[in-house]
Amino acid sequence: MPVVELNLNRIKKLVSGNITKKKIIDALPFLGLDIESQEGDEIRIEYSPNRPDYSTDFGIALGLQGLLGIKKGIQKFNIKKTGKYEINVDSSVSKIRPFVTGIVAKNGSIDDQTIKQLMNMQEDLHFGIGRKRKKSSIGLHDLDKILVPLTYTTTTRDKSFIPLNEIKEKTISNILTETDVGQNYGWVLGDSKNVPIIVDSEGNTVSFPPIINAALTTVSTKTKNILVEVTSIEKDAAEDMLSVVSSILQMAGFQISELKISGGKNSTPQLKERTIIYDPKLTSEILGIEISPSNMVTCLKKCRLDATIKGKKIICIIPRYRFDIFGPMDLVEEIALGYGIENLEPKLSPSTTIGKKSNVTTKTSLITKTAVGLGLLEVLNSSLTSKKILYELTKRDSSQMISVLDSKSQEHTILRDSLLSGLLENLSKNIHETYPQKLFETGVVFAKEKPIRESINLAVVIAHKDTNFSEIKSILQSILRTQFKIDCETKPSSESQELFVKGRYADIYVNNKKIGEIGEICNEILDNFRIRTSVVGFEINLSGLIFD
Amino acid sequence: MSQVLHDIEKKIIDSLQKKSDQTPEQLSESTELSIDQVRRGIEWLRLKEFAKVNESSKVTISLGKNGVDSFKNGLPERKLMDLIKDGSKSFEQVRETLSGAGFNAAIANAKKNGWVKIEKTDSGSSISTKEKPVETPEEKLISLIGDKSISEEQIENKLALKFLLQRPDYVIQNTEKLKIVSLTEKALQIDTAQSDTGAIDVEANAALVYAARTHPLKDTIDEIREIFVKLGFSEIQGTLTQSSFWNFDALFTPQDHPARELQDTFYIENQKSEKHATPTQIKQVSKSHSQNWHYDWKLSESQKMVLRTHTTCATIKYLAEQKPDDARIFSLGRVFRNEKVSYKHLVEFNQIEGIVIGNNTTLRDLMGIQKEFYKQLGLTKIKFWPTFFPYTEPSLQTMVYNEKLGKWIELFGMGIFRPEVTKPLGIDKPVLAWGGGIERIAMLKYELDDVREFYNNNLNWLRTV
Repeated sequence: MPVVELNLNRIKKLVSGNITKKKIIDALPFLGLDIESQEGDEIRIEYSPNRPDYSTDFGIALGLQGLLGIKKGIQKFNIKKTGKYEINVDSSVSKIRPFVTGIVAKNGSIDDQTIKQLMNMQEDLHFGIGRKRKKSSIGLHDLDKILVPLTYTTTTRDKSFIPLNEIKEKTISNILTETDVGQNYGWVLGDSKNVPIIVDSEGNTVSFPPIINAALTTVSTKTKNILVEVTSIEKDAAEDMLSVVSSILQMAGFQISELKISGGKNSTPQLKERTIIYDPKLTSEILGIEISPSNMVTCLKKCRLDATIKGKKIICIIPRYRFDIFGPMDLVEEIALGYGIENLEPKLSPSTTIGKKSNVTTKTSLITKTAVGLGLLEVLNSSLTSKKILYELTKRDSSQMISVLDSKSQEHTILRDSLLSGLLENLSKNIHETYPQKLFETGVVFAKEKPIRESINLAVVIAHKDTNFSEIKSILQSILRTQFKIDCETKPSSESQELFVKGRYADIYVNNKKIGEIGEICNEILDNFRIRTSVVGFEINLSGLIFD
Repeated sequence: MSQVLHDIEKKIIDSLQKKSDQTPEQLSESTELSIDQVRRGIEWLRLKEFAKVNESSKVTISLGKNGVDSFKNGLPERKLMDLIKDGSKSFEQVRETLSGAGFNAAIANAKKNGWVKIEKTDSGSSISTKEKPVETPEEKLISLIGDKSISEEQIENKLALKFLLQRPDYVIQNTEKLKIVSLTEKALQIDTAQSDTGAIDVEANAALVYAARTHPLKDTIDEIREIFVKLGFSEIQGTLTQSSFWNFDALFTPQDHPARELQDTFYIENQKSEKHATPTQIKQVSKSHSQNWHYDWKLSESQKMVLRTHTTCATIKYLAEQKPDDARIFSLGRVFRNEKVSYKHLVEFNQIEGIVIGNNTTLRDLMGIQKEFYKQLGLTKIKFWPTFFPYTEPSLQTMVYNEKLGKWIELFGMGIFRPEVTKPLGIDKPVLAWGGGIERIAMLKYELDDVREFYNNNLNWLRTV
């Protein structure tokens, strides 16, 4: 979950009205925001990735104003049409990153804290809805350093300019290989010969999307007017991102002005509101509360939406930046938030169904009961394990190994096809504990078929200096006879098994069908696991034996 | 006072009442108990304040190698006197018999005792008896010690001892630590014949044995499963390997969503699901994605096999296949996340998820089920907060107050499946879903702060928790 840092004094000022800090802290969870930590007035907040408007304190203040009843309804976009600012799109971008959109934010003022918030917003937009800049990316520029109109076009990789935070010119190739952002996001551009670029009317580089801006247009505390550009591989995604930034900048005190876009399939962004017609019946159907339509309208307005009653329906107006709202069901949630989750009374209705455990659960727990009765202790191992434990230390056949891709943990790379290896590993980790040690596990094992076959196995190990084949065979027989009345046979194995002592292992059969293996573990394997006592064990397949 | 005594204790008391101040060895002899039994018995009696043990040290004297030889054959000077009792002998003749150092010692001591006279002749020195050799104090002492080991105090002629100590390897001085056991006043009064025979010391410590048992996490899983069943939910099984279709696509997670990336989800190498869904299901899900997320949905992406990231794939598949009108079902089992393992994260953990379809399916009903669930677990201080899940709307999370930690802890999540999830699969009624991770609840129960403990299989913990 993305995180934003807030200062309580600042957010109090942004929310305005006569609100205590405590009230703000109490209200935050009811916007769906989790307080991760608090130190004095500095708080860290986790927000949901579907609400990028909460990536700054401006967006959170907007939400708080609504919930606390200070300002309700939509924060209207007043996009001033000046006709002064323009981006022309060259058709060469169509194959690389075809879309650009943008806006101009004027007459604002920004301090260090605001810059920090805007940076955080940019990072989170890039990561989340920007899909690590692949889908869309954003650039903020000091408008007064730019000579309009701008051109969104392509250039070769030997083009050079001074990138952000540097003092010397660098070629695009060098930016991609030498800078952190180049290394992290260069993959987005693939190996295309030409790359996208935004230049001003004098030919100065403004931005090399989606990698880095030019130093020329750096936004600082002196910046009064900002130009926002968003480039993208998908038109709606570009406008989604732009709408979030625009509403935040407006909340930060800027006047939003139009940036004309033309060329290719591009057009000037409208950032228009949407309308959803809501049937008030849905509220009681879904939430189980009876409130009047006018009350629902109030709830929606508290969530910074607009709503009016028309006949039996509610006409709801959704601002452009709330693209997380898909349809009426999302409005139910908005009404619930406006109503206050704390005001929803839990209600326990009697169940009309009778609950039942699955057959697998019931039968497996009978096995577990018998095992415990026989003095075995239950252990649990991961189904994802390592090649070393599963195959190397036990010298088992690894030809049917099932791997997962790119595991972050070396110990969890292979899906187990047997439980015994895990039990030997457990004995290995407990050589300093009192013997005898008698362990069992029931769990899913995987077989490489198409599709992968999953079944449930039972494995038992017994470790102490005097243990032998007879002891483990007694356990095996008893587990199958108790509750299940199954008789099994053990016959010399046709295949040679390196896990067991020669001549002291067998295949286990029930009704002439092989269900597992049993034997004394051989010294070499015990050495591999650093076990210094005798070990016997068996493993059987329960699927197909006591359940399907 | 009736005192329960062990047989060993009784025998020791009997013996000490007859003869006080015995060593453990003496007691072993008098009671016919083994020395280990005696030592154990003395320890028990000492703890009960029936016996006292005084430790003292005692010097004992025994014969060394030369002393033993002298005990059998006489001191060298005695041997010399025997040799010359029939007339004088030359040094050479004597030396032949009394070889080595014995010769010098014999000559020197016989001279010192005034037993011999030595004459020098041309052919060398000769030796003859001067006086009849009487038994010396040293010889008396050697006879006294013999093959025993005697206390230094028993030796009266300390001078003789001193002389013998000066001669090499005749006597050995040993310092022994001695334990002398005696009875205390109250033990002297005990009549062992009257003490209850057959009774044992019920207060004594017994050996620790460990019960075989089910795994603590399994106990918590079973407890939670029972509560679901009590609340009217029936269990369904689902596989741990799933197609991306049921794990993600059917749950409205767009194909370029970060959660679907390799670094969050385990994909299975070289595995593609062939028949994961019906053509209608595929068509409808594809349409829902394209319309709502504005991108080209790809069948091949949905065929990639993953280790399920939640149990929801099992419940949604059940709903799509069975389309029940009125049902409460749940699915419980392992789920997987490609994360770094830490004290709070595992790559594999247990999740439970229940769904309700049919009557009484409002959010308030769902909250009511939650409240009852926590009540059954003994958690009564709960509240609900809004949250976000990609496939439910509205979505809530439960916060449970933990008295020990003194804070609110996030437990199960819940919500109503989005129409974008249910409609394409032909499910018309609202579906309530709730559930979450089980390890978190088990951690609270066993007061663990490291979730890895559940899978370490440390026998010391499993046997004693």
